[in-house]
Amino acid sequence: MSQEKANLKENEMTREGFDPHILGFFCHWCCYAAADSAGVSRYQYPPNVRVIRVMCTGRIDVRFVLEAFRCGADGVFTGG
Amino acid sequence: MSQYGAILVLGGGVAGVQTALDLSELGYYVYLVEKKASVGGVMAQLDKTFPTNDCSL
Amino acid sequence: MVEAGRSPNIEILSNARLEALEGKPGQFVARVHQEPRFIDEDKCTACGMCTMYCPRPVVDTYNERLEVTRAPHIDYAQAIPSSYYIDAKACLRVNYETCNLCAQTCTAKAIDFSQKPKEHALEVGAVVLAPGFGRVDSSVLERFGYGRYPDVVTSYEFERLTCASGPTEGHIVRPSDNKTPRKIAFLQCIGSRDETCGNGYCSTVCCMYAIKEASVAKEHEPDLDISLFFMDVRTQGKGFDEARQRAQEKYGLHVIRARVPRVEQVDGMLALTWTTDDGKSHSDLFDMVVLSVGLDSPEDAQSIAELADIKLNHYDFCKTTAGAPLATTREGIYVAGAFQGPKDIPESVTQASGVAAMASELLAESRNTCTISVTYPEEDKAIEAEEPRIGVFVCHCGVNIAGTVDVKAVRDYAGSLPGVVLYEDTLYSCSQDALKSIAEKIKENRLNRVVIAACSPRTHEPLFQETLRSIGLNPALIEMANIRDQCAWVHSQEPEAATEKSKDLVRMAVAKARLLEPLAQPTVDVTPNALVIGGGAAGMTAAISIADQGYRCVLVEKGRKLGGNLSRLAWTLDGQDASSVLDSLKKKVKDHPNIHVQLESQVESISGYVGNFTTTINSKGKTKVINHGVAVLATGAREYKPSGYLYGENNRVMTQLELEEKLKRGKAFLKNARNVVMIQCVGSRGEDLKHCSRLCCSQAIKNALMIKEHSPDTNIYIFFRDIRTYGFHEDLYREAREKGIVFLRYMPDRRPEVVRRGRGIAVKGFDRLMGEDIEIPASLVVLSTGIAPGDNVELAKVIKAPLTSDGFFLEAHAKLRPVEVAVDGFYLCGLAHGPKSLDESIAQAKAAAAKAVIPLAKGKVAVAPIVSQVDQKTCIGCGICESLCPFNAIRLVKVNKRRKAQTITASCKGCGICASHCPTLAISMGGFTDQEILAQIHAFSGGKCEDEA
Repeated sequence: MSQEKANLKENEMTREGFDPHILGFFCHWCCYAAADSAGVSRYQYPPNVRVIRVMCTGRIDVRFVLEAFRCGADGVFTGG
Repeated sequence: MSQYGAILVLGGGVAGVQTALDLSELGYYVYLVEKKASVGGVMAQLDKTFPTNDCSL
Repeated sequence: MVEAGRSPNIEILSNARLEALEGKPGQFVARVHQEPRFIDEDKCTACGMCTMYCPRPVVDTYNERLEVTRAPHIDYAQAIPSSYYIDAKACLRVNYETCNLCAQTCTAKAIDFSQKPKEHALEVGAVVLAPGFGRVDSSVLERFGYGRYPDVVTSYEFERLTCASGPTEGHIVRPSDNKTPRKIAFLQCIGSRDETCGNGYCSTVCCMYAIKEASVAKEHEPDLDISLFFMDVRTQGKGFDEARQRAQEKYGLHVIRARVPRVEQVDGMLALTWTTDDGKSHSDLFDMVVLSVGLDSPEDAQSIAELADIKLNHYDFCKTTAGAPLATTREGIYVAGAFQGPKDIPESVTQASGVAAMASELLAESRNTCTISVTYPEEDKAIEAEEPRIGVFVCHCGVNIAGTVDVKAVRDYAGSLPGVVLYEDTLYSCSQDALKSIAEKIKENRLNRVVIAACSPRTHEPLFQETLRSIGLNPALIEMANIRDQCAWVHSQEPEAATEKSKDLVRMAVAKARLLEPLAQPTVDVTPNALVIGGGAAGMTAAISIADQGYRCVLVEKGRKLGGNLSRLAWTLDGQDASSVLDSLKKKVKDHPNIHVQLESQVESISGYVGNFTTTINSKGKTKVINHGVAVLATGAREYKPSGYLYGENNRVMTQLELEEKLKRGKAFLKNARNVVMIQCVGSRGEDLKHCSRLCCSQAIKNALMIKEHSPDTNIYIFFRDIRTYGFHEDLYREAREKGIVFLRYMPDRRPEVVRRGRGIAVKGFDRLMGEDIEIPASLVVLSTGIAPGDNVELAKVIKAPLTSDGFFLEAHAKLRPVEVAVDGFYLCGLAHGPKSLDESIAQAKAAAAKAVIPLAKGKVAVAPIVSQVDQKTCIGCGICESLCPFNAIRLVKVNKRRKAQTITASCKGCGICASHCPTLAISMGGFTDQEILAQIHAFSGGKCEDEA
């Protein structure tokens, strides 16, 4: 068991096991709509993104991105 | 001559429901007469619709 | 659909039928008989106990008899009315006065066997007939082994099999052994294009739905081998040809052009034999055969016709004309949907709006005399100002969410979050009964913030906002977590990860909900007139309808006279004189006091927003300004002019419209015409235009028949790819074949050529049946060149309206909003939207007029409250926001001699560029404040960093 855990830990650092925590800012009109229609079409993608809906990517303040990284995001996705 | 400001829509499928919605928005009272127990017609039976494969409800 | 159940001005009479109709236009009395549901709609909570305890099984017709339900049931979870009902035919209590089990189990005491049938006498000004379509007789299906071989199914049954909430949860199985089939065949034109069953017409929709069902099946079971047997592939709708092409390539569907005469069973397999148009015979075995069943006229067509005193056509559909497609033969009675002729959803929805316009024209003077206006209880500001008391409702959406996400775990997790005082799960949050119960729980628990974890706020937030308003809460106090579209559906293979993601999304939503503030609900007055751009058939029809509905309108036409493409047509597709349709439209436009025509005029600029537009037009060199509340785009399209085929080089080669103009002037030129050759899809379907131009097949055949009528000895040859005479136009195709017109199919890689031969010309082609090259000397060559978009690019830029890749205007939603543009206040009709026939343009123009009049009739439009707001104390007047705003919705004003930014609320789209760039953080966005977004970011971290940081 502990061996397995250790392996997992190791894998996390390698490319294959990397399981990033990503924050997405999606524009209501395009990217958010596209993400919805990906769902309607039942496309499958990795479950790593958490989404904050904004009315336009123009709403995204640099502070938001910096704050996301400060709060432990491995990546920030902006879609608009 | 005075006219009635209500309209009878016979059939509660997609056409009937849309007519009822538009008429109510245009300022008319609508009686939607459906022979079955619920509106929606055949469209409600469709899983997805061509070509966008949207949910039909 | 849910909206229909919520409107106070729509009274749904279910289990009801029309018994009699008396009176005259404007003053009808309709007698309606209504059977009881035996379950009180107001009391039923849709809990399902009655279905569970009922001893009497009945077949579930909603699931195409593939499942069994009980006498008391609901057709499907989102049904409207959303209460259960008792199937009176099966119920033991109703028929034998025994049992009564359900009434005892019903805790809501909703079951009421004392209900009696009701007779209504309804005073109505107009009647709309929309009874839909009927089913093709089972004797037709039996010819293809249906009923005899279990693995022959109808397309309706197959639809339910592919549905995730259907009887097999979307698994495709053979009825005979419940195993997944490997090879499936779709047989088209079952009960369509078949005179032997009385249905000589084309059902229009089957080609599309067969491709859809085949695609969905392939998505469920990628290893399926699917063949589709078409006579012609009829995907003539907007964007449909491209969609078909994509589906065919993506899913590897085999398209075979042949009619399969019968189905036989051999060793548990289904054997098909068919002949292709090269004369070769083929046969193969399949595991399952799907019959693509056509649309028949409604079973009660005859009785409806008698009751309403209207005429039917020779197929028992409602009789209409190309010039008045939505009018029945009796004034004040209109028709929409499949009863008018087989059609797909966008066409039905368009016609539905169109008939709404017709009724609204007739009854303009009694608008708002019978309606009930909704009043919302006053906002409870005291509750709103209290500490956040958050309620979280986690939706199962049937199996859509609950099939992947552990809904109960998410619900319980929500309960652990700060501020949450109520956490529940619901089966379908959007169903009427669930909304009712959510409203009650909000009140009971004095909630002042609500989180709905369900589907997308894009589609469903308005519904839940409405629920809040109905109980005196500001609609801005709701936040949705999208755990369906962006979670359960896209991570269906990873239920644990999807559950974790749902928890995170709920946590983020709750964090935002804690900070939500009520927002003002501004409305603006509407300038009560319209602008119609384009003076062809569609534009004129729209203008007349708007004017008849009681509103003034300006009709702008760039040419020197009205009429557009209609003025070049000789006959409509149903054989009416096109000029009489044109003349009557022109006369109405000219005589109407509400219509002002501006010829030789073009739109230069449009500013403003729905309700208040200011448009500058250039009229014969002079600039004019028009103020209007809404605008209809009816800019038309043009006939495509091809290169090649000796077009423009030899005067014996012409387009269909040129031929029609020539025929209109006189038929003498046909005297020595021995052979006339027509070539279809010149330009269309990939040669120069990507799209199918929809009407060229019918138009070509119409013209060919016209030539035959005046010159019966002329031989006519038509080279085609697929003959797309959909609907009743199929009659033309049959007549043409009967009259000896020769149809030759060609493949896109072997197009016919027009060549010079001495002083004459000839068409070289390939005869697929004989398998040899042929050359036909031609007196005339007529090219069906298709419809190219007009010069829409400039106008589209002015309006900021999107175009399709083909250059036509794009509608807001292909099915649900087919005549609206994505920009509020703009509506769309006619060829500007895409190729279509005259009757379709007219129906669409009526629909656009209905939609355009809605804001005019309301007199006010609501502005979304998500606009920016400047705190003028903090603002330093730097002007960055003004320079960045893409909508000119923020400007600098002098306040006490200092420059301060100010938002123009009605123009603001809520994008937030101003807020994100304000150096002093003086601008906040309604519903998307810095604090709210930062709270979401902190919640994302899951407690790793604090809000205060």
